[in-house]
Amino acid sequence: MNNWNYAESKESEKIVSIEKKYGHFIGGDFISPNSKKYLDTISPSTEEVLSSISIGNEKDVDFAVQSAKEGLKQWEKTSPSERSKYLFKLARLIQERSREFAVLESLDGGKPIKESRDFDLPQVAQNFFYYAGWADKINLAWGDQRTQPYGVVGQIIPWNFPLLMLSWKVAPALASGNTVVLKPAETTPLTALLFAELCDEVGLPKGVFNLITGDGTTGSHLVNHKDIRKIAFTGSTSVGKYIQKSLAGRDVGLTLELGGKAANIVYNDASLDEAVEGVVNGIFFNQGHVCCAGSRLLVQEDIHDEFIKKLEKRMQMLRVGDPLDKNTDIGAINSKDQLDKITQLVNEGVKDGGELFQIECELPKNGYWFKPSLFTSVQANYKIATEEIFGPVLTTLTFRTPEEAVEIANNTEYGLSAGIWTEKGSKILWTADRLEAGVIWANTFNKFDPASPFGGYKESGFGREGGRHGLLSYLKDSS
Amino acid sequence: MTEVKKTYKNYVNGKFVRSESGKVYSVNLKNEKFEIPLTSKKDLRDAVTHSKEGFKHWNKLTMYNRSQILYRLSEMIEGNKDSYISLLHQHGLSKNESKKDVENAINTIVWYSGIVDKWEQLTGNLNPVAGEYFNISHQEPIGVTFSLSSNKVSLNHLVKSFLPAMSVGCSVISFTDENAILALKLSEDINNSDFPSGSINFITGNFGNIVEDVGGHVEVKLVAIYSDITNEFIKTLSERGADSVKRIFNKPAVDGLASILPFIETKTVWHPKGK
Repeated sequence: MNNWNYAESKESEKIVSIEKKYGHFIGGDFISPNSKKYLDTISPSTEEVLSSISIGNEKDVDFAVQSAKEGLKQWEKTSPSERSKYLFKLARLIQERSREFAVLESLDGGKPIKESRDFDLPQVAQNFFYYAGWADKINLAWGDQRTQPYGVVGQIIPWNFPLLMLSWKVAPALASGNTVVLKPAETTPLTALLFAELCDEVGLPKGVFNLITGDGTTGSHLVNHKDIRKIAFTGSTSVGKYIQKSLAGRDVGLTLELGGKAANIVYNDASLDEAVEGVVNGIFFNQGHVCCAGSRLLVQEDIHDEFIKKLEKRMQMLRVGDPLDKNTDIGAINSKDQLDKITQLVNEGVKDGGELFQIECELPKNGYWFKPSLFTSVQANYKIATEEIFGPVLTTLTFRTPEEAVEIANNTEYGLSAGIWTEKGSKILWTADRLEAGVIWANTFNKFDPASPFGGYKESGFGREGGRHGLLSYLKDSS
Repeated sequence: MTEVKKTYKNYVNGKFVRSESGKVYSVNLKNEKFEIPLTSKKDLRDAVTHSKEGFKHWNKLTMYNRSQILYRLSEMIEGNKDSYISLLHQHGLSKNESKKDVENAINTIVWYSGIVDKWEQLTGNLNPVAGEYFNISHQEPIGVTFSLSSNKVSLNHLVKSFLPAMSVGCSVISFTDENAILALKLSEDINNSDFPSGSINFITGNFGNIVEDVGGHVEVKLVAIYSDITNEFIKTLSERGADSVKRIFNKPAVDGLASILPFIETKTVWHPKGK
């Protein structure tokens, strides 16, 4: 049991002001929904209702797309260097109001303030800053290849990194000369709504950025709108496949960033203490609500017992609780639905015969919580070893040889990310060459940077976000 | 003396084979009619199985080696230039057009041969991340590619429908219908150029017979459509393909760096720097 008592160190909620009700942001204004329907967005750590957001129906979506079409005319007239300056200004404003955004993100989504403050927000600002600089250099990015923007782009983002995913989508799209209709996740719309205010503040031409809130039906209207030229989606593989099917036979660009079941391979010659830290960060970062989370621990058989012992000890140090407490490592599960899904998969894992370790800790009475969990004695065919859990649950498998590690790691339809832990350089390169994954972390995990392309192999989707390669997701060949 | 007439067969796994169905269709040239294998669903599955193996073998070779194999193909065609010119003429092209087309095809092959060991220097790079990390993005071939080659009677267009994928390391199943003879003739020179078995395969027939299976086969990682096909076919391919998040490209670029981008997957590797 962890006996270290920390004094509570709570970030004040006073910095944010949340409206009772929000409309869509279309054509530079907040407008009431045609649907006249709203849904509540709650704080998953208290279950308290924070606000009501509009549910976009077909007409709302159409209005937003028409606005983006009008916006495109303005954006085309805006010179690349002017576009660049708008994005730089957005980056600066985000930096200035970063604390406000961070608190809002933690309130609405349940992630610990130390992550929203020290990871999400700095990355968001940097991402706008990075792509701002590309806006007037698009012609340099890919040699003599002639490209053009798609036009009106529909973007659908998930609830795990709400504002960060917005920045991954919006910054490169605008930098490449497109205009945007963005739909944030229904459980985490508040930071996107605050971002919309910033677009107004920097004087971004009306219609260049449009925001439509709602649930899956709103997203579906966006995908099926006849004037959309490209869809960029981040979310589950099943919804990704549905979108790909919906777009069949239509001349609409598509990039998908879908699920994962990343292997985190720990060789017996790894620096074990560093690997423990990396494995913990790999799966418990953001409550495990991470598509590239290192959710399958592959540990070499001869160090299994020693490694698991160290891992359990380290896990016990994790502090679960109020997302706004600066000491919190693990915040709230994003929604009741997600909590139910995690609980069900974990129960199945136990039923299948997996050995479950959960840390000893007290969970708050209200809100949605799940104890950091570790499965050992797992067979490769258990659901917990194959399905994406998207929660703080790590599944352990063992291997004897590097060949076997690679085989197990690749034995999944996913291919988003992977981790390698060894002190031997040649073994890193040998393993990295053979892993079927878009991002590979060697002796580190869950590192992100606007300059670094991110995206998957196989059924984890296609297209890249970040870096020079991320531009290609928003440019089409015009040769 | 009676002339000996050639029997054209599919080219799969480095072998010339008939359709297992025994079915054929007719292709009429100026003076002659040929019976061509009508590829069945089973033939397609066989081709995919071999292409999967071919992908492994093609990828084991060094870029230098692959580059030389492609270059050898240009040498083979140069040596048999007259027979290609005559065949294209039989397809209705003028002598001059035929000659120009073969020369263009040779130039195309030489260009792709030369890009094999260079493209990755153009598509990959170090990423200047904000931190003490070595971070590099490089590319890998996507894998088994199904290519619908152009409807144009042209050797140059034909080679442009598989070279972009081959030059980055994908294995290819190249499909032709009315231009089947040209493709099957080319397969003979391919066969003499040291390509590993299964790395490049030519099958012929009616695309409508196999469109659902191409879309639905999970081992076909990518479909590149260089021909004009109906929107109905594209829809079927995409709907079936979505189940395995298949990469489907309609009319990808056929020149320059842009032509190879559909066939590569970007892998980014991070490592901390430290003492």
